[in-house]
Parts: sequence; C-alpha cells; structure tokens
Amino acid sequence: MNKTYLLWQKQIKKIRIHPEEIIGMLIQPILWVVLFGVGMRSLMSGSSTNGNDYMTFMVPGIVALTAVSGAIAGGSTWLNERLMGVVKEYLVAPISRLSILMGNASSILTKVLVQSIIIFIVGVLMGAKLGSNPLGWIGGLVLVTGYGIGFSGIALAVASSTDSSEGYHMMIFMLQLPLLFLSNSLYPLETLPMWMRIGAYINPTTYIVTGMRQISLEATPGMGIPANIPLWLSFLVLAVFSILGMWLALKAFKKAIR
Amino acid sequence: MQKKEQAIITKGLTKTYDKDVLAVDHLDLSIPNNTIYAILGPNGAGKTTTISMLTTLTEPTSGSAQIKGLNIVKEADKVRRKIGVTFQEIVLDPDMTGRESLDFHARLYGMNRSERSKKVDELLQLIELEEAADRLTKTYSGGMKRRLELARGLITDPEILFLDEPTQGLDPQNRMKIWDYIRTLKTNTNMTIILTTHYMDEAAALADRVGIIDQGKIVIEGSPDDLIDKMGADNIKIYGSGNAKKFLSKIEKLSYIENIDTSDDVMQIGVDKGNQRLVEVIRIANENGFSIDDISVSKPDLGDVFLKYTGRQLRDK
Repeated sequence: MNKTYLLWQKQIKKIRIHPEEIIGMLIQPILWVVLFGVGMRSLMSGSSTNGNDYMTFMVPGIVALTAVSGAIAGGSTWLNERLMGVVKEYLVAPISRLSILMGNASSILTKVLVQSIIIFIVGVLMGAKLGSNPLGWIGGLVLVTGYGIGFSGIALAVASSTDSSEGYHMMIFMLQLPLLFLSNSLYPLETLPMWMRIGAYINPTTYIVTGMRQISLEATPGMGIPANIPLWLSFLVLAVFSILGMWLALKAFKKAIR
Repeated sequence: MQKKEQAIITKGLTKTYDKDVLAVDHLDLSIPNNTIYAILGPNGAGKTTTISMLTTLTEPTSGSAQIKGLNIVKEADKVRRKIGVTFQEIVLDPDMTGRESLDFHARLYGMNRSERSKKVDELLQLIELEEAADRLTKTYSGGMKRRLELARGLITDPEILFLDEPTQGLDPQNRMKIWDYIRTLKTNTNMTIILTTHYMDEAAALADRVGIIDQGKIVIEGSPDDLIDKMGADNIKIYGSGNAKKFLSKIEKLSYIENIDTSDDVMQIGVDKGNQRLVEVIRIANENGFSIDDISVSKPDLGDVFLKYTGRQLRDK
C-alpha cells in the first residue's frame, strides 16, 4: 500500500514538469461538452427530447470517454517507462508487482476523477441538470473509479504485452470505438438494432452511464435508463470490471517479466 | 558451510529465448564474498542476460542460482533486499531531479526520512553531483547520469552490487571517475561487486577475478594476473646505443629467451617472465658496452587471453 502511494506520488509529481499535460487534461473535457454536446443538442432539439435533457443525457457518456482517454494515456506512459527501462528500477526492488500496477492505475484514476468533476461543472453550465442529492454525486464518482481502474488495467495489460508504441495505439483504438458507440452513452438503447443492443449489454460503459444517470443527474425518468439495469447491477458490474482489469494487467505484467 | 562464503553460486544456469536462441549456456559460477568479479566478453556473449537472471528480472529456463544462499526464483524478494543494480542502458526518469531519483529509490526500499537524506547527501558528495542535484536528470551529461545511477545502486547499502557495463560510452575522464568510485568501495566496504564489461583494461584494472564469457559460456576464469601469467612470453623492449652485437650475442645464450627481434632502433626480446629477467638483461647490457636509454616490459593483456581461449579477437579495445 505504501509503495502504491509512492508510485502514485511519483506520477502525479511529474505533471508539474509538463504544464501542457495539465492544460490538455482540463481543456479536453470542456471541448467535448461544448463542441460535441452543444452540436448534438441542436440536432436533438427538433425531436421530442428537449435540448437540455440531451445535455443531461450525454454528460455520463463524456465522463466515460474521458476515463477511457485517461487510461490510454496512462498505458502509454507505462509503455514508455517499459521501453526506456525505467520499470527495471521497480522490478529489482523488493516491492510487490501488484503495487507497481496499482500505483500507476491510481495515478491515472486521480486524473480521471479531476476531469470528471470538470465535466460535471461544465455540463451544468451548459444546461445539464445535476441531481439534488450530493451522495449521488459521490456515488457517480465511485462508478467512475470502478470504470477507471478497469480500463487502466486493460490499457496497462496491453502496454505490458507489446513492445511497440504503434502496436499499443492500434490495439487500444480497436477497443475504444466499440466501447463508446456500442453502449447507450450517446443514444438510447431502444433505438438500436438487436445486435448492437446485445453488444451494449456486455459493455461496462452502459453500466457506468446508466448508473450515473440514475444517481448523479436529474434525468427524465426512463430516458436512457433501461428498466432491466437497476442501480445495484451497475455497481456490481463495475466492481467486477475493475477487478478483472487489474487481474488482466497483473497477468500480462508477470508474463512480460519472464 | 561453503554456501556462506560464496556470494553467488550458479549451477547449469541457462536461458533460451524464443525456444532456440541460447543466450546463457549452462553457466557454473562461484563468486566468493568481498570480491570484485568481472564478467568479460564481447557484446552478445550473454553478460546482460546473466545479470538479468541474477537480479531477478528474468527467470532462468533451466539450472539454478543462489545469492547469499537464497534462491533467485523462489526467494526473489529476499534476493532483491540484498542487491543493488545499475543497468547497461541508462534508466533514469528524465522528469525527476538527481536528488529526487535517489530519494525515490531509497523510499522503494523503505528507508526512513532521516536515513534517506543523510545517505543522499553523502552519495551526492561522493559522485560530485551536489551542484546539479536539483536539476532534472534529462539535463545531465552521459557521465553524470552514470554516476547518479551508481549512487542509486549504492544508496541501500547492498551486500552485492551488480554493474552492467558501468562505463559504456563514457569519455576517459568519467571512466576514470567511475573506476575510482569502484576502487573506493573496494577499500571502504565489504561489498561484493559483479561487473560486466567488454573492455579488457577495465576488467584488468578493477577485478580480483575475471570470468571470460563467450557464446553463453565461461571459457576461463581466474585472477587477471594469473590468466595473463599463464600466457608466458613477456616482451622486453629496449632503446639504446653501443655495442649491440656483443650484447645480443650474450643474450642469445640465455636459456629463457624465446625470441629476439631487432628493427630500426628498438630491440624486442621475448622472455618467459619479463619482470624476473629484466635485471639480468640490464646487467648484461652494462657489462657488454651497451647503454640503455629506455627499457620496458610489456605483458600480454586480457585481450590476448581471450584470443587464446576463444580463437577470436575481443573487439572494442
């Protein structure tokens, strides 16, 4: 635990060397909300759904997307450290291999949580309706945590199994697109063809988005909240997902050492 | 027990990559405590793979190794507490300062704050990096990086220090500095130091024992002096003037002369043991009217030893 904190601190401290990273981290979610959100809202305002409702509808999706981007960036950092050999310093030290991964995943998660909060703030400024219960906001961040750890795990696993930066980005890109579009983050499930709906049900993105809509935002009942996904299921799925992600990462990581 | 006297014992240590590339081939090593042991060989001989296994970075394909009696696979975590390592490539985080790099490393090993700051200051002073300590390591020269890495390997006071090609790519000045630090360690501590190098002068200058490695196997092992002594045939080089003919005719009759070669103004006399024969050669010159301006004995070096046992040149002199 101690060593996890140490590695977390190392990654977080390094941000100060790269102010461009902070700026990008802050601006990227704002751009998503403002450019994508407002554009989509105009498209939707003609339909039965009210424009502000769409902003409320899509904020969780942007949070999920940002979490995935954060995990990808974190995986990339890890790959660089591996290729530079910096990882060897951790490996010859008497610390558990899991703490090395947890240190990286938690630093990714920290950045993702900060970004999520910004998205919520900007979303509200742009017309999204926040839920009235602060516990629900915290619950939303708990969901982000599960999702972020799960994805960091996947990104770290991929980054541990390849020796090429191009290979890493190709593999991640292949994962990223279906994760975002094969879910109910941008459009309601009911409008999707059956095969896409099945895809959405096995995609953890659907669960973080649905869960956040239920507790963190004041969503119009029924809108984007499939009746067969109760809140507890969202939490369960994301808990399992985070453990699965870390397990994958640890497995890939140990294999890479052999 | 014998185990305790040996810092490192390997038995049939083998590493194959991709099923058929044999990097290390049934290596049997026995390295006593408190020695500097150099693994000397050309690039690709298996030096780094050997170090990777001994430092628990890679698991052997077969065979076993013990460090201070601890199994490198089953007791990897205990092994890690006993060793310090510097790698062949520079593995410093470019976004940390020198001081931060050392402090971070010490924290990885669980050293407390006061212990750390004392040790960090002490080592920064040793490697003469005090002024640059608070600059990011990406601004350092190659020599400064190497010195910082050496300090990092030392900060935890390891019982065994592994140095993989510690002076590769350094200018002569920085090389000498690193050599000095290693010699300082030898006199001031009980550390066992394992270093790999493809520079024979480095092995000769630093090591108590040398293992010459080629194609994953140790071909010959011993103290550098013994290895070179076994080569026999020292060369005595003489510059001078006077009755050369009379001098050489006397020399020719001595039993230990292996060959005599005169060209231009220099005489080269091959003898069995140059240091022992030098005095007599000088005496004969004096008695026979030959005045010596300059005389030197040159020994064969580890490069010649390598050539003898592998039939190939050790490049990168």
